[in-house]
Amino acid sequence: MRKDEAVKIRLIILAAALTLGASARAQDATFANAQNAYDDGRYAEAVMLYDGLLADGVSNAEVHYNLANACFKDSDLPKAVWHYRKAWYLEPRDPDIRANLRFALNAAGAVEPAPGFVERVFSALSNAEWIYVAVAGYATLALLLTLAAPLKTARRFLLKLCLIPVAALAFSGAGWWHWRQLKLNPEWVVTRTEATALFGPVEGSTAHYKPPLGALTRQINTDPKGWVELEYDGKQGWLKTEDIKRVSP
Amino acid sequence: MMRDFRNIFISLFLLLAAAGAGAAEVRMTIEPRLISLMDRAVLKIEFVDVDGEAADIPEVDGLSVQYQGKSSQVSMVNFKTTRTTTHTYVVTPAKVGDFTIGPVTAKFKGGEKELNARLRVITPKDDQQAKEISELMYSKITTDRAAPYVHEPFELTLEVFIRDGVQIDGSFAILGGMPESGMDGELKWRHVDRRRREINGAIFNTHTLVASAKTLTAGSFAFQPQVQMSVVVPRQQRRPYGFDDPFFGDLFGRQETRPYVLECNQLIVEARPVPMAGRPDAFTGGVGVFDFDVEIGPTEVKAGEPITVRMRVAGDGNLSKITPPMIDASHAFKLYDARVVPTEEPNAVQFEQVIIPKSGSVSNIPEIAFAYFNTKTSDFRVIKQGPFPVTVEDAPRQTAQVIATVPSTIQQETQVLGRDIVYLKSAPKTWTKESDAPPLKTTWFRILLALPGLLLVIVAAATARRDLLAKNVALARRQQAPKATRKTVRRAERALRAGDAAAFNEALWDALAAYFGHRLNLAPGEVSLPVVLNRVPSEHDAIRALFDAVEQRRYGVQSGAGESKADMKALLRELTATLKKCERMKP
Repeated sequence: MRKDEAVKIRLIILAAALTLGASARAQDATFANAQNAYDDGRYAEAVMLYDGLLADGVSNAEVHYNLANACFKDSDLPKAVWHYRKAWYLEPRDPDIRANLRFALNAAGAVEPAPGFVERVFSALSNAEWIYVAVAGYATLALLLTLAAPLKTARRFLLKLCLIPVAALAFSGAGWWHWRQLKLNPEWVVTRTEATALFGPVEGSTAHYKPPLGALTRQINTDPKGWVELEYDGKQGWLKTEDIKRVSP
Repeated sequence: MMRDFRNIFISLFLLLAAAGAGAAEVRMTIEPRLISLMDRAVLKIEFVDVDGEAADIPEVDGLSVQYQGKSSQVSMVNFKTTRTTTHTYVVTPAKVGDFTIGPVTAKFKGGEKELNARLRVITPKDDQQAKEISELMYSKITTDRAAPYVHEPFELTLEVFIRDGVQIDGSFAILGGMPESGMDGELKWRHVDRRRREINGAIFNTHTLVASAKTLTAGSFAFQPQVQMSVVVPRQQRRPYGFDDPFFGDLFGRQETRPYVLECNQLIVEARPVPMAGRPDAFTGGVGVFDFDVEIGPTEVKAGEPITVRMRVAGDGNLSKITPPMIDASHAFKLYDARVVPTEEPNAVQFEQVIIPKSGSVSNIPEIAFAYFNTKTSDFRVIKQGPFPVTVEDAPRQTAQVIATVPSTIQQETQVLGRDIVYLKSAPKTWTKESDAPPLKTTWFRILLALPGLLLVIVAAATARRDLLAKNVALARRQQAPKATRKTVRRAERALRAGDAAAFNEALWDALAAYFGHRLNLAPGEVSLPVVLNRVPSEHDAIRALFDAVEQRRYGVQSGAGESKADMKALLRELTATLKKCERMKP
């Protein structure tokens, strides 16, 4: 009986491994096909293939980035900016993603977001990376305190050393808070040419400014009637949600 | 007899109380309901047979409401007691009209009620004082253009006249009276002049305010600003209307300030639409009087490289509403959308547009036209700039690796060498799925995460215990007592098994000495029956019997001789049981 059960478990593990392997192979093939389509200038097809990968639940930065490239070549600037930004959330230090996002925004005639020094520092690591830093800080702090407890002679030195993981914890907390703010007040990409930001969240309100198609804006406020107050190029105005698409980490 | 009196008294009291407990009532009154602009009314909120708080009176445009205080009154009619609490407010009008005060939420014990009151303020023909006010203080609004075009800026001038001698408190405010819609932004009044003038033989202090206005739509716009100011008046000059006026009878000549809204003429501005006839194709919404300049650069490029076109529109008009002039580019160019570039010039707007020549055949950038509606001449004007000569070289045929990544020991920096995006990325080593739980959220990771903390707690507890025992010898010895005793008890068991009575008795004594020595923190030679009995709170008989038995066996005549194993076993059992009892007791 026990032998039978062991055999069953082995078979299940093998089947799961085979399924995973087959799935990974299929994704590799789709990715390669999309790349070939891109190289041949069949950008719409490349977009479709990359979209298919995302629809399957894949969330690698590489897929978002390549899809953004294909969208850019296919003259779909808002979608390109959206996926570049999504890729940037996953890999904030990737120079290619930053460069292409900047290029796409320039092509759209949109102003690049200009984060302050503090925001730049906390954007250096992704949300997950800040959590890893916090975990490492916590483990190191616990280890140092564990050593400091019995070792009386080295206690003072070890306690001083604890400042490093404490600083790491504090920084990672601030980093986590930064990304949380980005989730609470996310960015939006302008997806309609005629989108006009108004002074108030009311149809017929005075027009304030006209963000270019593909512009990356930051949410300030929302209105339950389907309006979002956005900041773009130092100006604040209300846009309807059908004219914009939310992008957040 | 006394009991009868008491019953009668209680019955009477209950009857009175029941009679007094009438239905609670809350009401709001204003008296009088019709007043002159120079009068004031008294608003009362009365709580009958219930306690109530002073209510917050909502703001009413043109009325000033001030709380005066609370008063209470108890009256008894036909054995019925009525208790009334009244909150009084003074209502001072600043302009004529019909006003509704409320809804006022009056809160009382057990609930709340919404109340309203109406007041009419008039300027009677025979009210000389009110007439005088409008002659002493008034305002006047004028414009430099009675019929401007849509988006054309026009100037509004508001003059405030205050007769010399009228004392005002602070400055004045412009509260409303502007068109509710169709204006481009709110009016910002600037105080440009203040002087003394003679008007009809009287001296007036005049204030001149100026605001620039623009309309977003054509049509009629009515301007009648309400200038409100606080005028200082001697208190005894105010006319009381009755005894309810809380200020009635103020003979001390104190001053008070009263808000007034000045009379003002109504100015009608007819905004004209920009005509459709003769509107050029290049018209991009400019209305006013403008200049137009264009700069381009660089002028020598390779095909596929960008040229930036900078367009500047300056002048008076609706600069913020102008969309970028269109460049009539042929297929020889690739055009990107123009964007507004911030400029420090107050009356200018700057656009920047990237234009990319596709081949070396391009020799110039075509002329750029800016058309606008000139409000001075009432016609459309077109300003043309260009064409702009450029030198374009054919691009060499090669695969463009447009962006290079320069490795650095500190940080990777990306240099933009050309004008295209960086190429695709290769496939990731592992595929991550949105649905995959991140490693940080898995159960094993959470368990792992708890380990360092758990380890720290255990080590900290052990260290704390060690330090405590090191400091407290008595406690340390107390905790060693059972362990030390177990050792000697095992020795006794061995002697029992060997039938060695002498060794057995010695081991028993050692067990007693070890246990009580550690337990009571005594030196080895200090363990004796009197000392032990003195220190332990109970089990005295058992301990005494044990000590006596062991000592008799150790030092008795028959020591070691004739002792049966059963006796020895019984004694060992007794020792073990007694020491267990001692272990449980608290010394």
